[in-house]
Amino acid sequence: MTNDKKSFSGAKHYVLDDELAKIVNISMELEMPLLLKGEPGTGKTMLAHAIAETLGMPLIVLNVKSSMKLIDALYQYDTLTRLNDSRFGDSKRDVSNIEEYIKMGKIGQAFTADKRTILLIDEIDKADTDFQDDMLDVLDQMEFDIIEIDKTITAKHRPVIIITSNAKKDLSDPFLGRCNFHHIAFPDPKMMRKIIKVHYSDIDSDLMENAVNVFYRLRELESIEKRPATRELVNWIRALKSDPDFKPRDLVKGDIPYLGILFKKSPDYARAINTVSRRRII
Amino acid sequence: MFIGFFYQLKEAGIPVSPTSFLTLHKALSRGLIASLDDFYTASRATLVKSERYFDLFDQVFAHHFEGAELPDFTGVELDELARSMLEEWLKDPKTLAAALGVDESEISKLTPEELIEYFKERLKEQTERHEGGSKWIGTGGTSPVGHSGYHPGGMRVGGVSRNKSAVKVAMERRYKDHSLSGPLSQAMIGEALKRLRHMIPSGPKDRVNVDKTIYQTMKNAGEIEIVFDRLLKDRLKIIIAIDNGGWSMEPYVHLVQTLFDYARAQFKDIKTYFFHNTIYETIWHDTSRFKRPQKIDEFARLDSETRLIIIGDASMAPYELMATNGSIHIEERSGKPSIECLKFLVKNFRHSVWLNPIPSNMWGYTQTIFAIGHILPMFELSIDGLEKAVAHLMAK
Repeated sequence: MTNDKKSFSGAKHYVLDDELAKIVNISMELEMPLLLKGEPGTGKTMLAHAIAETLGMPLIVLNVKSSMKLIDALYQYDTLTRLNDSRFGDSKRDVSNIEEYIKMGKIGQAFTADKRTILLIDEIDKADTDFQDDMLDVLDQMEFDIIEIDKTITAKHRPVIIITSNAKKDLSDPFLGRCNFHHIAFPDPKMMRKIIKVHYSDIDSDLMENAVNVFYRLRELESIEKRPATRELVNWIRALKSDPDFKPRDLVKGDIPYLGILFKKSPDYARAINTVSRRRII
Repeated sequence: MFIGFFYQLKEAGIPVSPTSFLTLHKALSRGLIASLDDFYTASRATLVKSERYFDLFDQVFAHHFEGAELPDFTGVELDELARSMLEEWLKDPKTLAAALGVDESEISKLTPEELIEYFKERLKEQTERHEGGSKWIGTGGTSPVGHSGYHPGGMRVGGVSRNKSAVKVAMERRYKDHSLSGPLSQAMIGEALKRLRHMIPSGPKDRVNVDKTIYQTMKNAGEIEIVFDRLLKDRLKIIIAIDNGGWSMEPYVHLVQTLFDYARAQFKDIKTYFFHNTIYETIWHDTSRFKRPQKIDEFARLDSETRLIIIGDASMAPYELMATNGSIHIEERSGKPSIECLKFLVKNFRHSVWLNPIPSNMWGYTQTIFAIGHILPMFELSIDGLEKAVAHLMAK
């Protein structure tokens, strides 16, 4: 890494492993989008926020929806307002100037921003393959055309692009060909302790040990639809900490309160309650 | 540089592209890669595009850069065999040593890892040539593990440094769970079933159809007329019939449960029925197949666009399928052989599939699987199979 370039090494509320830091830095240097996959709750989205925070770059988030078309992410031609203006003429906009009715979408914003931005394209797997491929074309060439005004928008600064996907299935080959790829594994207990330390620096070591142990055991319960992830654990610990009657010893004894924070689906919750009440977990 | 490595990845079956290889070189030429660790990270991020190949990548990497054993065709079984041999060894070293024809004291010097390696070597030789006896003693001089030289066990011995070396990381095979042979999880099922959609306009007319609006407005010579459309909604009807009887489906309960849970959450119009082994004139709403029967004749009234998914191992005695009154349940006397009932269903619902949890390479051994496969398309209950099944269900 050259010295004049900023490199990324973790943020205040994000625990980064070396491997991922390296990949982020390489992708930034090569100016290639980084595709992140992994279970929900492994911090894919958080990573982009963390990079933005550390490097002091503005973050632009494009939340992909299944019905989304590429053009929505680039720009919008507000025909209805123009139609309205042309009929009633009660605005200061110049109706004959179409450019006044063009609004930039998220990718457009990232291209036209005055400084280098981080563009987070979240949950790309929701959209169909055509969207994905077309989008990568745009991101590859760093420009797109606005047909209505016959103008080409070229990126002033190449944004740092982070793409996340929850899907187990692979994205299309041309898409993958243009990205770097990393799969974030679910953190192991050691990493998890670090993550908790980051969130609660003053945490009692008994509480942490016991909570993490119980958490990993609960994750292994069978036939759970949505297994608790990092976010749930962090919230759970917050609840445990704020309960004055709670003692870390209780967890060892098999008294596990606030299961509703860990299990969000009612069949899962019932199953967890059932297992815990039979003391099978310890 | 590293062209050999690239081709080794390719040969191992990882889809690596020359473009990504060039990207890796770009990274190298810019001085982004200073160590083997960096190279491991960088090459994986640029060359490998799916976590399913991470495991394979780790193995090839370890092989290329440290000469670790490359798992070949027989890899997995050999692993297992060697491991069980190790267990055997720990229990009773003398017998095993005698069986292998080696000196017990010589093997007992080795660490468990080395032992496994040692056993693997032996096993491999054994599968290659059945000579036995004197062939057993290693040819590689002092090290009993012979030609594999720098073997994995050796690397772990000195592992005091806090940062793991890339090769060591690669050796750990952290991504084993994600390789193609992994079990079917809910997320995978979700991914496969996502395509199962049938969009039909429904609900209030609250969407502006811009094209039509413009057209109508022009037709009215500028007088605005806004045209509204209904929203497109998923209106796919699905019937799932699950074989939940008998011990033969027992091993697959978990798998089917996952599929079923997902399907129930995902689709609004879904009916679930149960049967045992195969379908006769009646199937049941309840899992005990007793309280709420449903005559399949009545399905004729349902929308023929309904998708029928039957899940079962399709393994039974041939008469259960072919003979009149073939059911093994005495109270189930229909008068029609099951095969006719299945044909009726397939005729009624033109989109129907049979999902079979038994791996497809085993299908040839069971007559009834073959017979049912002729009536309606049968797919394996795996990611690939599920995807094919969905493609079939959505075909016009």
